[in-house]
Amino acid sequence: MESKAGTAETRSKLTAPDGAEVTAFESLQFTDETHRLISAPPTDNASSFTALLELPSPQVVELLHASDSPKLIAASPTNVEDFKRNFHFPSNTGLIERDRRFSGETNNNNEKRNSPESKNLSANLEKAVKSEPAETESSQPLVSDPTLETRSIKRKDRENKVKGSTKKSKTAVNESSDDAQKLPYVHVRARRGQGTDSHSLAERARREKINARMKLLQELVPGCNKISGTALVLDEIINHVQSLQRQVEFLSMRLAAVNPGIDVNLDSILTSESGSPMDSNFPSLVMPVMWPEVQGNGHRQQYQHEWHFDALQQPVWGREEVCNNYITPENSLLTYDTSANSVTLHANQLKMEL
Amino acid sequence: MPLSSLKPKMRPHSSLKQEFLKKWIMGLQRCSFSKKNMSILERKKAIKFSADIAMASARNGTTCWSRSLISNASKEGSDIHVVEQILGSESDRPAVENKVPTRRASVCKKIVKRSCRIRRRRRRRKCVASAPSSIAKHLVRKRREVLKSLIPGGEFMNEICLIEETLDYITSLRVQVDVMRSLASASVRASE
Repeated sequence: MESKAGTAETRSKLTAPDGAEVTAFESLQFTDETHRLISAPPTDNASSFTALLELPSPQVVELLHASDSPKLIAASPTNVEDFKRNFHFPSNTGLIERDRRFSGETNNNNEKRNSPESKNLSANLEKAVKSEPAETESSQPLVSDPTLETRSIKRKDRENKVKGSTKKSKTAVNESSDDAQKLPYVHVRARRGQGTDSHSLAERARREKINARMKLLQELVPGCNKISGTALVLDEIINHVQSLQRQVEFLSMRLAAVNPGIDVNLDSILTSESGSPMDSNFPSLVMPVMWPEVQGNGHRQQYQHEWHFDALQQPVWGREEVCNNYITPENSLLTYDTSANSVTLHANQLKMEL
Repeated sequence: MPLSSLKPKMRPHSSLKQEFLKKWIMGLQRCSFSKKNMSILERKKAIKFSADIAMASARNGTTCWSRSLISNASKEGSDIHVVEQILGSESDRPAVENKVPTRRASVCKKIVKRSCRIRRRRRRRKCVASAPSSIAKHLVRKRREVLKSLIPGGEFMNEICLIEETLDYITSLRVQVDVMRSLASASVRASE
């Protein structure tokens, strides 16, 4: 998959003078796939990367920093053709040298890749050409990323770490300073130990997305705010989901015990139900139905629940068993209590009608 | 997708509760409640089942977990009329048939992911690192798998999707618990 992206670069490289051709080219057989990839429409959630190129630079930097969205990703087909035409190499010899150097370095680290050479090439391209094609080139491999956002990204992650540490320590400072000078193109602040190559960009965007959503989850699940570390937070979330599911089971069992005949009067009640809030409706819904069914309590003993529930006669205890440390359920109960008091009269009247 | 677009998914609880309640009661009516000699476990299953379907249909197919929940339920022939009644109330009948292709597509995805996982497992055995980062990753990966098993249809999601679905699932579970609990306490109140 990354090879397809790599071959886009190889093909564009071929348009350059032949002296630049290096031993790295072996991925030419993927040109058909590259065609398909390029002619494929951009994905739904990705805006055009090259649209960013027309923005003034500070806005772009801000966008890239603030976003957890794949704004970095997916060039449209026409733009790919455009900058391939504008693709020039400043110095072929310098490129050849760096190719030799990096092919020795990165081949050890790329055993997981399908075409280490194309990846090598993409790395070289960033070094050789200052910033213009580097960022625009990065759009091509990024096209593959959102469409194939499977666990292959984890492979890239491992790679990127190794590659980043070997190369970026040399050229990170140069890269960022050069970025600042070439104005109309996208600037990415390359952190030390992190690359500006396409894959680490995509990886960074993805990580930011995930972290943002994890933060939302932490806010939602009570007690997760103080915990740091993804594994523990995920533990809490898992516990929360499991407890909620267990509560649903428990409550449905409880309801099954209480009212075998809940559907009897529901038709009439539903038709008379207006848009009033749910809490005040509950008593009127349920009370006329529940009243004759209290004798169903004998079935309780058939439970095999871990909570040893016999709490129809002990509603307070049962409720406390179920409420862990939620705020919202207790609020709903409280509101229910106040509305229930106001409706008991109404329920008595209904009882008489029954 | 910027963060702010996630917020509209968490609708105000009151409207969601009402919707859930309506659909749930409709489903309960359709269930085989008419048999007076249903055992308590059957009744419990019916209640839970209709509650789950009502919850899922309240999402109108916007989330992945709701779709897979409904498609799982539609598979069994016995309860399909319940599903159809709940879904049909919102003129959503074509959605029921549309769930089936999703299921097939997700099965294909599952096969692809499984094969990728196998390939990766072989590679992992080559380089078993004891670096703390890889240990942490391993832990996180394990928990992510557990989460996938908890959320309906979770095995087919990538990580970002999984977290969003978890968010949505937790809110709807809370709504479900709230509604059921108030109904149960109403019944208790009636018995006093």
